[in-house]
Amino acid sequence: MTPIVLTMTWVAFLLGMAWYIAVLDGLWAAAREGRQPRAPLANPLYRCATILRQQSNLTEAPDLLNWRLAPALYAGLAGTGVALVPFSSTNVLADLEVGIVWWGAVEALTVVVVFLHGWSANSQFGLIGAYRYVAIGLPVMLISMFVLIAAALPAESLAVPKIIESQRELWNVIRQPLGLPLFLLLGLSLSFRGPFNYADSADIAGGTAAEVSGAPRLVWEFARLAMLTAVATVAASVFLGGYLGPWLPGPVWLVLKTAAVLLVLVGLSHQLARISPSRMMTLIWTVLLPLSFLHLVWAGVLAL
Amino acid sequence: MTLTTILVVAAALIGIGLYGTLSQQSFVMLMMGLELMLNGVMLAAVGFWSLTAGGLPTGQLLTIIVMAVMAVEMAVGFALITAVYRNRQADVTEGLTTLKH
Amino acid sequence: MNVTDITFWIFAAIAVVSGWRVFCTDSMVRASFLLMLSFIAVGLIMVLLNAPYLGIATVFMMAVEMMVMALFMVMYMMNPAGLNPMMMVHQHRFSIAAGVFLFAALAGLIIVTRFASNPVAPGTEVVAGLGKELLGDSMLIFETAGVTLLATMVASVILSSRSGRFGAADTGSVPPPLEPGGEPAGRQPEQGGGHAHHHH
Repeated sequence: MTPIVLTMTWVAFLLGMAWYIAVLDGLWAAAREGRQPRAPLANPLYRCATILRQQSNLTEAPDLLNWRLAPALYAGLAGTGVALVPFSSTNVLADLEVGIVWWGAVEALTVVVVFLHGWSANSQFGLIGAYRYVAIGLPVMLISMFVLIAAALPAESLAVPKIIESQRELWNVIRQPLGLPLFLLLGLSLSFRGPFNYADSADIAGGTAAEVSGAPRLVWEFARLAMLTAVATVAASVFLGGYLGPWLPGPVWLVLKTAAVLLVLVGLSHQLARISPSRMMTLIWTVLLPLSFLHLVWAGVLAL
Repeated sequence: MTLTTILVVAAALIGIGLYGTLSQQSFVMLMMGLELMLNGVMLAAVGFWSLTAGGLPTGQLLTIIVMAVMAVEMAVGFALITAVYRNRQADVTEGLTTLKH
Repeated sequence: MNVTDITFWIFAAIAVVSGWRVFCTDSMVRASFLLMLSFIAVGLIMVLLNAPYLGIATVFMMAVEMMVMALFMVMYMMNPAGLNPMMMVHQHRFSIAAGVFLFAALAGLIIVTRFASNPVAPGTEVVAGLGKELLGDSMLIFETAGVTLLATMVASVILSSRSGRFGAADTGSVPPPLEPGGEPAGRQPEQGGGHAHHHH
C-alpha cells in the first residue's frame, strides 16, 4: 500500500470500528431492556446528527482552550495507538522501534487528557469525575505496562511488528494466559466503560462530560469509541497474533480479531457492575497488580 | 540542529529552572523549578551522547539515572511537603522559620 | 535548514516558552501541564537525536509525574482553579538576575567551546544497546538506582504517614486563620483524640 492508501485505511478502520461498537452497544442495551432495537445499523448516525444539532454549551469561566482541545487530543491519542499496529507484514503506518513504549505514553497522556477535560469545564461533577478517573486510571495503566513488557519478552523487541512475528508458532494469549484478560481491563478503563466508568458515569450526572454538548460532545463520544478500538487493535496484535492467520489475507484477520475483542469488551462493559472507587482501588492494588507481577515472572521464566 | 544549539536550549531551561527555584514561595512550584533544571540536564546529556560520544550506551545510562533522580526528588519532596503541612500547616517556604534564628 | 532543523527549533521553542510560562500562569493545574509540555518537547528532541527509547520514555514518565503533580498542587495550594491572579514570589529581582546570569554564563561557555564531533553512526542498535548495557556491564549502577527508588518509596511513606512513634503527626496542629488573628480555618479536631464515642 502507498502511504496515502495506508492513511485512508487507517481512517476507515477507526471510523468503521467506532460505528461497529456503537451498533453493538445499541443492540446490547436493547436486549438487556427486552425491547426490539430500532434501526440498529443507522442509529449511531442518527445519534451523531442529534448531537451535532445541539448548541455547544458554555459554563461560567471555563478553561476554554483545554476544554475544547481535550476531546481532539483524546481522539488523536487513540489514532496514534491504532497507527502502531501493522495491517500486514509490510503495511504499518508508524513503524516505531519503541512502539510499546509509545503505547504506554498514549495511556499516560489519556489519563492527563481526561483529567483536563473534567477539570477545565469548571464544574463540580466534571472535577469529581476527573479525580476519580485519575485515581483508578493510573494503577490500571501500571498493570497494562507490566503485561506489555511480558509480551515483549519472547519477541526480544519493543516494536509491535516484531511482537506479532514472534507469535508465528504460538499466540501470546496461550503462552501468557493472564495477559489478555488484564489488558482488557485497560480497555474498559481507557475508554471508561462499564465497571471502570469512573469518569463519565450517571451517578455524577455524566462526570467529565456533564457540561459538554454539540460538536465537542460528538468528538468526545467518538474519541471514547476510537480509544476502545485502539486498545482492541493492540490487544489483537500483541496477544492474538494480529494479521497472522491461514487462508485469509492479513488485514482481514486483523479486522476479525479486533472485532472479536471488541465484542468481548462491549459485553464486559454491559454485564459487569461498577463498584465504589475505593473498593476498586483496593482490588487493583492488592489483587490485580500482584497478579500482573506474577504474570511478568511467568513470562520471564518462559522466555529464558 | 548542532550540539551548540542543543546546549543553548538546555542552558535556557536550566536558567528558567533556577529562576523558578529561587523565586517561588510555594513548595510545589519550587519543585517545578528543580524539575525544569533536570529537564535541561537530560537534554544536554542526550545531546552530548548523540553528537560527541558516537552512540556509547553508557551515555544513555546517564539519562536513565537522571530520570531516577527526578523520581526520587519528586517522591521525597512531596513526602516532606506532606510532613511539613501536617506539623506546621505550612505550604510556603516562609512558613518554615525554625532554623533561621 | 532541513526538516529536522525546523522540527528541532519548533520543539525547542515549545520547551523553553512553556517552561517559562510555568511560573507565570495563575492556575496550578495549568502550571504542571505546561511543565509536562516542556518535557514532551524535550522528549521529542531526544527522538530527533537518535534516542527513541529515552525520548518516548520521558514523555511517558512525565505525563504520569505531572498528573500526580497536578493533584498535589490542587491539594496544597490556595486558588487551585486559577480564578484569581496568582504571583507568589520572593526575592524576585535577584532570582531573575540569577537565572539570566546562569543562562548567559552557560551559553557563553558553550559558544566559545569547541566540541568533538562524533555522532551516532547510522544503523547503530541504540535501543538494544541500552538494554544490554543496563543489564550487562552497568547492571550494578542500574540496580543501585532500583534499590534507591525502593528506599525512596519506604522513606516517603514513613515521612508522610500520619501515625508515628509519638502518636498522630497532626496532633495539636492548628490550621492558620483565614484572616490575621482570626479563628483557625477548617474543621476543628474532636477533643479526646477522637475516641470519645467508645465510652457511651
